[in-house]
Amino acid sequence: MHNGNCENPLVPGVVKVIDIKDETSDVKSFFVKNENGVPFNVMPGQLAMVSLLPVGEGMFSVSWQEDQEYLQFAIKRVGLMTDELHRIEIGQKIGVRGPYGNGFPVDECKGKDMLFIAGGIGLAPVRSFIKYCFKHREDYGKIQILYGSRSYDDLCFKDELFDKWPKEKDAEVYVTIDNPEEGWDGNVGFVPSYLEEINPDPKGKIAITCGPPIMIKFVLKALEKMGYSDEQVITTLEMRMKCGIGKCGRCNIGSEYVCLDGPVYNLAQLKKLPPEW
Amino acid sequence: MQILDKKRLENALDKLAGTAEVFLPVKKGTAQSGFYSWKTFDKEQDTLMLDALNVLLPPKNVLFPQTEKMYSFKEEGEGIEITGTYEDSKATIIFGTRACDAAAIERFDDVFLTRGYEDTLYKSRRENTVIIANACYEPGQNCFCTSMGINPTDPAAADVIIRDTGDAYIWEALSSKGEKVTGTISGLLESREVKLPELKSFNTIVDYNGVAEKLKNMFEHPIWDRLSQTCQSCGICTYVCPSCYCFDIQVKTRGNQGYRFRCWDSCMYSEYTQMAGGHNPRGDVKERFRNRFLHKLEFFNERYGKPLCTGCGRCIAACPAGISIAEIISEIKEADTDA
Repeated sequence: MHNGNCENPLVPGVVKVIDIKDETSDVKSFFVKNENGVPFNVMPGQLAMVSLLPVGEGMFSVSWQEDQEYLQFAIKRVGLMTDELHRIEIGQKIGVRGPYGNGFPVDECKGKDMLFIAGGIGLAPVRSFIKYCFKHREDYGKIQILYGSRSYDDLCFKDELFDKWPKEKDAEVYVTIDNPEEGWDGNVGFVPSYLEEINPDPKGKIAITCGPPIMIKFVLKALEKMGYSDEQVITTLEMRMKCGIGKCGRCNIGSEYVCLDGPVYNLAQLKKLPPEW
Repeated sequence: MQILDKKRLENALDKLAGTAEVFLPVKKGTAQSGFYSWKTFDKEQDTLMLDALNVLLPPKNVLFPQTEKMYSFKEEGEGIEITGTYEDSKATIIFGTRACDAAAIERFDDVFLTRGYEDTLYKSRRENTVIIANACYEPGQNCFCTSMGINPTDPAAADVIIRDTGDAYIWEALSSKGEKVTGTISGLLESREVKLPELKSFNTIVDYNGVAEKLKNMFEHPIWDRLSQTCQSCGICTYVCPSCYCFDIQVKTRGNQGYRFRCWDSCMYSEYTQMAGGHNPRGDVKERFRNRFLHKLEFFNERYGKPLCTGCGRCIAACPAGISIAEIISEIKEADTDA
């Protein structure tokens, strides 16, 4: 046994939670850093393993890296580990290791119009690319964002959705909720049908989507109907993960390890894999 | 050629055990057989199983223990500290492993040491382990290694190959590690010529040629419904398999400190892919069964250029439902894919 910096990729580094923000009743954003700044640099769409050391580890997409200031994780409370995570307070130290996975093809998308389609907590990974586009605004064309949730309260990142993003240059933000609500004068309905209504022209465009499996399924159908090619449609997959480095086995789809080779795939790549995603 | 007379075998094992921990096939009392340390060998109760083709458990636990500590931590108020990491670099010898199990170690090397990340726990054990493989000349009932492209008389990954000629072993060092280990017992080796044994014919032969390719179009084939029908999802096939490497990472916490460890897992268990939100891409036995055999016969091949089955036949003997990977390969070979 030895102490100090070790080369074992499965051992996390320790970071401090510098801020926690309630996004919805069951989603919290955790902002973390260590004494040197961010523990590692991530690209949009990449993953990191967050550990509450005495409880467990979970793989999450990094919702944003603010330069060397912090990493942000928007995490929904769904199980044992995330339940415990939601109880921690600012100042708590937690473990984090990464970055894992390929991330979104930010360079290949340069010069394209971008269409982001997300549902529920599926905005967390997509947001990292949205913010990246706004940060490198001159590299990308028109930016359209379509986001939906069950209710107004379940919408994540409300300040950006309603205040910041609509004010960005050449950007359109469309928000929808599943059922009518008092005080809501926006669109009501599911994401795929709202998408068909907006009917964004596929020409010169890349569509990035993430959300519940059922939403993705119908979004993909809608995009196909609108004339998007399989290469123009990109999604990010979720599988159970333990190691994050393509060794422990469980996140395979066919011969791909989602943690290492994914989690981002275009539809052409996905169609070559067994339909287990 | 160099010869180790079987009368000097125990003497040689003692000498080797003076330089490293020697794991070899042993039946422990009335318990299961597997690879156990020579220093724990009890002459009254234990049986040396070098003549057995395959002991019940392969030597995978030597390089990849069933459970192993990864790192320890301590919590204090808001703070948390990684207090130490573990690594095992003690000198080890795997003595008398067969070609199928040695080929499985070759596959472990592919998984743990290539494709972007090196698994440091495995790497340090592997680097400090010498493999002395026992060539096979008389295949057993369930052996089909040759069908999977393995040469039983010339085991892969071996630092030394021993060949049983009846009352003596031919001893052949193949690597510098092998030569070093040979040096420790050189006083027990003699130099003379003996006749090489002849490889007898196999009882089980399957035709794996083209199977990996054919499986690419068989994911939705009805064959999986039928083949998986009797599977109880017990996981014994993965437990006895020399090449199954899937693992879980878990934590043990006591008070304000604890350690994180990894342990063998099985793709046959539904928790293996169960996600926190409730979604499970392989929630049914059929889906897990299909994934296991596709991993063995197609997916691993696509990724690493060789099948993840080395034809040892252990899972065939162990399966309570009588499921045979050899028969499955034949069924796939014969399956009608036009339907």
